[in-house]
Amino acid sequence: MSASGKQQYPMVSNGRRGPLRDAVFFLVLGGLSSCFVLLIVLLLAADLSFTSPTAFAAALRKPEIQAAFRLTMLTCTLAAVLSVWVATPLGYLLSRFRFPGSRIVDVIVDIPIVLPPLVLGLSLLILFHQPFPLTRWLGLADTEAAGVGAVGAATGRPAGWILEDWLEESAGIPVTYRWPAVVLAQFAVSCAFAVRTMRVTFDQINPRAEDVARTLGCTRGQAFLQVALPQAWRGILTAGTISWARALGEFGPILVFAGATRFRTEVLSTSVFLELSVGQLDAAVAVSLMMVLMAVAVLLFLRWLGAGMST
Amino acid sequence: MGKTAVVIPISLLVMAGMVLLLVQADRPRVRQPQAGVALRSAGASAELSLFCAASNRSVLEPIRERYERETGHRVQVQYGASQTLLSQLQVAGVADLFLPADDSFLRIARESGLVAEVLPVGMMRCGLVVRRGNPLRLRSVADLLRDGVRLVQANPDAAAVGKLARQVLTKQGMWDSVNAATDGFRTTVNDVANDVAVGAADAGIVYDVVLYGRADLEFVDVPELQGATSQVSIGVTTACSQTAAALHFARYVSAEDRGLEEYRRQGFAAERGDVWADVPELAVYAGSMLRPAIEDTITAFEQREGVRVSRSYNGCGILVAQMQSGQHPDAYFACDVEFMKQVADLFGPATDVSQNELVILVPKGNPRQIAGLQDLTQSDLRVGIGHEKQCAMGWITQRTFAESGLTTKIMENVTVQTPTGDMLVNQLRTGSLDAAVAYLSNAAGSAEYLDAVQIQGIPCSVATQPWAVLRQSRYPRLADRLFERIRSAESQEIFAAEGFRWQLSENPAKP
Repeated sequence: MSASGKQQYPMVSNGRRGPLRDAVFFLVLGGLSSCFVLLIVLLLAADLSFTSPTAFAAALRKPEIQAAFRLTMLTCTLAAVLSVWVATPLGYLLSRFRFPGSRIVDVIVDIPIVLPPLVLGLSLLILFHQPFPLTRWLGLADTEAAGVGAVGAATGRPAGWILEDWLEESAGIPVTYRWPAVVLAQFAVSCAFAVRTMRVTFDQINPRAEDVARTLGCTRGQAFLQVALPQAWRGILTAGTISWARALGEFGPILVFAGATRFRTEVLSTSVFLELSVGQLDAAVAVSLMMVLMAVAVLLFLRWLGAGMST
Repeated sequence: MGKTAVVIPISLLVMAGMVLLLVQADRPRVRQPQAGVALRSAGASAELSLFCAASNRSVLEPIRERYERETGHRVQVQYGASQTLLSQLQVAGVADLFLPADDSFLRIARESGLVAEVLPVGMMRCGLVVRRGNPLRLRSVADLLRDGVRLVQANPDAAAVGKLARQVLTKQGMWDSVNAATDGFRTTVNDVANDVAVGAADAGIVYDVVLYGRADLEFVDVPELQGATSQVSIGVTTACSQTAAALHFARYVSAEDRGLEEYRRQGFAAERGDVWADVPELAVYAGSMLRPAIEDTITAFEQREGVRVSRSYNGCGILVAQMQSGQHPDAYFACDVEFMKQVADLFGPATDVSQNELVILVPKGNPRQIAGLQDLTQSDLRVGIGHEKQCAMGWITQRTFAESGLTTKIMENVTVQTPTGDMLVNQLRTGSLDAAVAYLSNAAGSAEYLDAVQIQGIPCSVATQPWAVLRQSRYPRLADRLFERIRSAESQEIFAAEGFRWQLSENPAKP
């Protein structure tokens, strides 16, 4: 038996009882490890036994499921790439520098991980639809003074500068209950995981190489782009993978902030919820299995990509 | 730098590509209406947004599709848990319509001022869910307390069915034992049914309709939950800016030959709804005296609903004769209960709305010094009264004269009998009459030309105005909504300004 799938180490005998001890060792480790693996396999088997190929095919044929599949792929990918773009510099800053408030920033980026998902969705909804408190102090609560983004008594809504109205009226980008809300809800959570991953990645990369590069004339930016970043590719890919997977499973914030509008904001996780809500357990399980297949396919692709880049 | 230089632009391109595809996918899909189906003339053309309980999806989707096919107007439905949708409505308030799992959420929304009109669609019964064949032979709530029965319920603080079950069983003194016997509480009624379906529980308390199309489950009607029902309704939000369009869709969902067909097919019980019409025309008969009190309200109702209300104002005697000859309005607002009684067989229960006092109208300054009925017997006095056969006012006038014992003497001075009080007012103003017996409301617009002398000591000189809806009306719900509008606070103010005394005691909802 080899100790690792990648490297073969010679088995060194430790007297006559050596092989027996090794066998016990692998038995205990294997036993403990298999508990989790077995649990996942059993879950999948249970799902498979609950549905049928006919139900699975029927679910796939539904236009709303196809639309949800497309939207899921697009939004998850966008949220994951955005997460990597934000998490890479943030993880680098948190790893390499101690600046005023760095500990607070470190805690803040973890908040989406510990926050209950529905609370995150509600917070996003409030952020986009309630007037900013500062606008009252700045005298923008008055409708006329506030101009675009301010609403008042005429609409029966609170007066003040409102982010959603401003985005819709000034930039023409409605967010709530549209696809940007899906991406934002996914990004809010998945980015937190990506930041944590990137921070650990940069923690594990010795800063000495960057210091040497700087003594040889590199700027901080060059040291980051040409020395640190190439060493962090595996971490970046992992962060992207985790972000994508996290975005795929995201449900609570999307339901509250983006809703579950068919052909517009319904992603696969909300499809499962909607099918469950009407007692369509077959369809719910079929969509769940589709999500599993998607996740497996994407994970395999990213691993293949990671392996390619390493070589 | 090599890989970095390649990957950074690629990632940017990927993001741009994703955004482009999402923008492309977000464009509304335009549907063409069926050939030959008239588009409605009322209402806006913008897309409607509906917050709908996920549990209603299977029934609403076919209705929405049919509506879009027939009218060409789009309805964007956002499904979710009723509690979540209500919170979204409170925070963002961006939906035009709200269709929660049951009425309790609409009540909360209405009390919070989030919802205006509410149109009932279906009724759900509360009972037990068991696996097909009822293997444990559960026939009553008492059976749930047996050893070995795994019971799940919907959370009584979060889900309406749980709340209803707790309320009904508490009254029967059974709640504590059922509560203790419950193995788990779920957040929605569908979760309860799903638990039984997957074998995690033997029974649960649910609404009958959630079991529609579920061959593996069975609904058990139990005596303890007899009569425990919940209503499903659709509400128009107060934030809605296209009320005519929103009500157009709400009317479609609650229409007898449209939405209710689907609701009934999926197991809901439903009371008789309106017949579908693109722009329905509601016929209302009302006594002439009511015209100033209700005309503005009806016009506002027409605009908000995108419907037409054809009103006939006339003396109630004439209106009754028309109805007896076969002309039947959808709703009748009589000048007095007496004229409602004559056609009571045509209408549902009548509701007394307001009262109007009979007075003696005289020219400003009261030149003939008329202080009461006795003074109407003065010689050379020209008196005008309502015709007792043609209007309630004339009929009440005759009763009042009879009560005072002055009928013969006053009738000697009566020079004209008209079908409406307005005509008497006009004749007084032109100087062709010295006095007229009419309603106080008839003089409301002529205060600068006329004085009103109260008739004291004769209770029958007060008329009570009842409202009723035709039993066979094609639009009973629409008529009910018009009545609701007439009962609104704004309408009450108009009634008071026109000299009516409000009689309904309940606090009406704001439209």
